[in-house]
Amino acid sequence: MENVRSSTLPKKFHDAVVRWGQTFLPDYQLLLDNWEKFFPHDRRHELCAYRQMGMCDELECGTMKGKPKFGRAAEMTPELADHLLKAVKAQASTELGSIQQHQLTLARAPEEVDQFWVLRMMAEELRHGYQMFHVLLEDDWASVGDTKGEDMVEEILQMRTGSHVLGAFNVDFDSFVDNIVFCALIDRVGKYQLAMQKVSAYKPMAESMPPMLQEEAFHLATGVVPIRRWVQSAAKEEGYVGMDHLQKVFNKWFPRGLDMFGDERGGGSNVKMGLKPMNNAEAAKQYTEEVQQLVSDLNLRYLRARFPKLSRDEAQERLKRIVEKGDTVEGVGPDNLLRLPHNSFFRRRGIYAYQMIDVDGKPIETLDGFKSHLKSVLPEAYATARDMTKFHELMGKVVHGEVKAEDAVHILPNLSRVGGVCPCSRAVRWVIDEPAKSNGH
Amino acid sequence: MAKAKNAGGAAAKAPKGEIALRPVNELDIEAVCAIDEKLSGQDRPGEWERRISYYIRRDPELSLVALEGKKVVGFMLGEVRAGEFGLEEPAGWIEVLGVDPACQGRSVGRKLLEGMLEGFKARGAKAVRTLVNETGQKELFGFFEAGGFEPTPIRTLERKV
Repeated sequence: MENVRSSTLPKKFHDAVVRWGQTFLPDYQLLLDNWEKFFPHDRRHELCAYRQMGMCDELECGTMKGKPKFGRAAEMTPELADHLLKAVKAQASTELGSIQQHQLTLARAPEEVDQFWVLRMMAEELRHGYQMFHVLLEDDWASVGDTKGEDMVEEILQMRTGSHVLGAFNVDFDSFVDNIVFCALIDRVGKYQLAMQKVSAYKPMAESMPPMLQEEAFHLATGVVPIRRWVQSAAKEEGYVGMDHLQKVFNKWFPRGLDMFGDERGGGSNVKMGLKPMNNAEAAKQYTEEVQQLVSDLNLRYLRARFPKLSRDEAQERLKRIVEKGDTVEGVGPDNLLRLPHNSFFRRRGIYAYQMIDVDGKPIETLDGFKSHLKSVLPEAYATARDMTKFHELMGKVVHGEVKAEDAVHILPNLSRVGGVCPCSRAVRWVIDEPAKSNGH
Repeated sequence: MAKAKNAGGAAAKAPKGEIALRPVNELDIEAVCAIDEKLSGQDRPGEWERRISYYIRRDPELSLVALEGKKVVGFMLGEVRAGEFGLEEPAGWIEVLGVDPACQGRSVGRKLLEGMLEGFKARGAKAVRTLVNETGQKELFGFFEAGGFEPTPIRTLERKV
């Protein structure tokens, strides 16, 4: 990478991240041992923070556009610092949270190559978490609030699936299909957040983004390429993953991806303060267009693999006929292809949060009807997962008027874990002060 | 040189009537397949999945696509390498390019080449190389010649096996 400065965290924090990695990313060494086999000539992974030098010095959006960016926390208003710290915390939480999720089903990868690509992606997510810790620890936040960087790092390291900041990172993976679809859909939201934060009014945050974005590009390919292969295999009735299952996994993750952008009515403060260039609705709209393109490409790929004699133009024409007119041609109809669930389906944030709406955007009258619909359109393993049990409980309270939908959006799944004291238990601190050195007396 | 703009990247589009450039991404695979199919007559999704993901993995900002509006109308893939074949200096290598036949004659290839040269230079490359069959790919040879490329004493050696 050109014009990039690398550095490491102070030892006790670096060691804490390494210990965290040993617990939640136990195959890290396996990745390094096999690096040359799967990633020949690529720069070896390193646990460190990178900062892109030579970036814009002036605020790129908002009411202070054109003024110098903030290099230190003390230069910012408490309100701006508060917004920024929330974003850093959420970012760090997502990076570490995704590792905990991927680890659950990593070993079930049908292909070794896909497994190592996901493993590399996990290692890079660990580096991204490390990067956010670097942002927190390199500055003194005392002048803008009660937050200490050290405490935030410990708090984030303590988070588990169920206690992360954003809903998408509180959902367990059920199969390796989750690993891959998550990369294609949820990492794509990550790309948007990183790209938007590249203009951040806080220079260290802005400088952290380009190296992270470079790695994120690989994460998206880690998702999209296997899905393309699976779709082609499904068309030939070969392989491991059918279109119906893929559709259900898309239904599981796409709503969580949209939730990650936040309430469609919000995001304006971040734009005004120069932290992001787009509000939530604009970013979510662009994201939806991208995922729609992915779905469309996958469907075209399905038709071409299923009917190899069709030309590209003929396949595109047929795709249009099936998707837009609902026709079934040579045994392939809309139900055999993928489609994007409606943006109001199964939402937990924003204007559609906790509304009973089906995948096509049509309202469902009864709670039982909604439950039954979710069961039919989500993967079976997920429909019976704890996250869903908690969701149904909360949904019931919203429907019966015990909880308002706008309050429900703030209630975390809180999936408390069963288990005793282990290195990842909340009873253990990750950041440990080094014992005082003996002076020899 | 026009650069496609947007925060997320893939949804970028060129201003009306202009050809813009942006780094290649995983959602371009199908568009690149389409251009390749027009040029070669073959549908080779596996090949482009492999190649594009390789370049994204290696350096996602370097390899480029050309856009007309939101449509991908050309691509150029390459990377910087050093220390191969006894050539110690970092050099840019252009591996493959393609331009939609419907857009040929609109300087799409030249714009891609200029964008790639800029990227190679920023990465410390001292020279940029490619391999072209002088007799079998006359048009391509002419394209690179017009772009300032010259034959070098480095020769490709080949033996049938």
